[in-house]
Amino acid sequence: MTSMLFAAAVLANLKVVATTGEYGALASAIGGPRIAVTVLAKPTEDPHFVDAKPSHLVTLNKADVLIQGGAELEQGWLPPLLEGARNAKILPGSPGHVKAGEGVTLIDVPAALDRSQGDLHGAGNPHFMMDPGNARIVARHLAEVFCAADAGSCADYRTGLAAFEQALDGRLAAWTARLAPFRGTPITTYHPTWKYFAARFGLVSDVFLEPKPGIPPSPPHLAEVITAMTSRRIPIVLVEPFQSRKTAEAVASRTGATVVSVGQFPGSLPGTEGDYLKLMDANVEAIASALEKAKGR
Amino acid sequence: MELFTLWLWPLIALLVLPGLLVYFGLHVVERGVIFVDLALAQIAALGVCVALAMGAEAHHSLLPYAMAVSFTLIGAALFAWTRFRHARVPQEAIIGIVYVVAAAAATLVLSHTAEGDEALKNLLVGNVLLVTKGEVLRTAALFAAIGLVHLLLRRRFLLVTFDEDAARAQGVRLRLWDFLFYATFGITVTSFVQITGVYLVFSYLIVPAVCGALLTAGVQARLAIGWAVALVAGVSGLLISVYGTSLDLPTGPTIVCCFGFLLAISGVVVKLRR
Repeated sequence: MTSMLFAAAVLANLKVVATTGEYGALASAIGGPRIAVTVLAKPTEDPHFVDAKPSHLVTLNKADVLIQGGAELEQGWLPPLLEGARNAKILPGSPGHVKAGEGVTLIDVPAALDRSQGDLHGAGNPHFMMDPGNARIVARHLAEVFCAADAGSCADYRTGLAAFEQALDGRLAAWTARLAPFRGTPITTYHPTWKYFAARFGLVSDVFLEPKPGIPPSPPHLAEVITAMTSRRIPIVLVEPFQSRKTAEAVASRTGATVVSVGQFPGSLPGTEGDYLKLMDANVEAIASALEKAKGR
Repeated sequence: MELFTLWLWPLIALLVLPGLLVYFGLHVVERGVIFVDLALAQIAALGVCVALAMGAEAHHSLLPYAMAVSFTLIGAALFAWTRFRHARVPQEAIIGIVYVVAAAAATLVLSHTAEGDEALKNLLVGNVLLVTKGEVLRTAALFAAIGLVHLLLRRRFLLVTFDEDAARAQGVRLRLWDFLFYATFGITVTSFVQITGVYLVFSYLIVPAVCGALLTAGVQARLAIGWAVALVAGVSGLLISVYGTSLDLPTGPTIVCCFGFLLAISGVVVKLRR
């Protein structure tokens, strides 16, 4: 496995490192065989916490391009890794250091940075890739970066981008249609991960199991959540692989809601490895079929 | 070999810093307060959490560090004060209670700040791979100072740990010396935890001291064996995790397992000698 990756890295023009899988998937879709992509965080791992391994430092040391979200999601672990990797090409401010969130309109941007208000991320909500419209912005940004770093293959990157955008258009229409019957439906999520997704597809995401981002659920808060879910008849609770499914199930069992497994990263759900579109297919289908069943009851 | 520069500071950290930990380990094992390092690290973490709750930024102000040191001193006083002669309650029970209460209190304090788990995790889960030149030099200077204090006062410290009754007979002020011991120990542990994380601190304290105690009786010989064990485990763990590219192992846990392996070898050696 490692030797195969190594061979690919030797043949490729650009060595690209992505902090999380959705950026890696977009980069592969655009660059195809011209680039070799390595993803640092495992898809089932909480991207707020990634444990550094020697291989991470080696990968970063040899990288031409680093893609990070740029909205402070990785602030706990990426800066020391970058310092240790000693690679000027990917330091902040260099052309090889890509902030995927640039050009994306972030929500939840605090007016003033006040830690006591639960603003884990001063730059805004970093889960913007759950809106496929933002994936398009990021993909265009990546194609530009690849063109600048490897001008000889620019035509290929543009072709890759066009193919990705065409596929995205088709899927976006299908996803919108699939979720259209549920417009205005409120959903509960563990962390404010799905606000961009909800805004795109007309769902309402304002109930969270965490009292504040990053703080484990407390009993009084869960009691409030249960009251809100009962009175507003919220039919589903979204939970990701690294979040506490037990908490979600405890709340769901008291309110008659269904727990739905979803994921932010390709590979978070089985069968979605390395493919952003397949991941969103799986997310949309999981949410839509759960909402359908809830409606039927 | 250009990649060697990537591992230079972790390697220096593993060569230089554990020496003091191994020395403290002899005391800790002899006193039978095996988990006191975890408790002191957790108390220091609670101090940082209180600073965060008071509105300090984690890495940009002096308040968190000052609070960590103050809380460590309070912990040191607590452990010095709870050493009783023929106690009905073993001190290890008190240490365990302090550990869980400090951990729980940190969670409570942080539930009113935004950084929550993230901050707490960063405090207790250092990663030796990411250590910077500045951290190594600062910590080495601090350890040299603490080491010097213990070198100058070694007779008293060793007497209080290894022969409590004689110390009492000589009229040594046990509470004061215990406090000094736990204060210097606590500051050492708190600094080391931020570089390597809790598991590695525990391993560096306990395993070399236990290997030494298994293999020999004299304090100096134990210290020598302990230092050898610490060096071999640290360097081989780093090398395995760095050059065993097909395994791709994280460094800290690899070092801990090397310690386990060396302890097993010591056990076999002891059996064969009998």
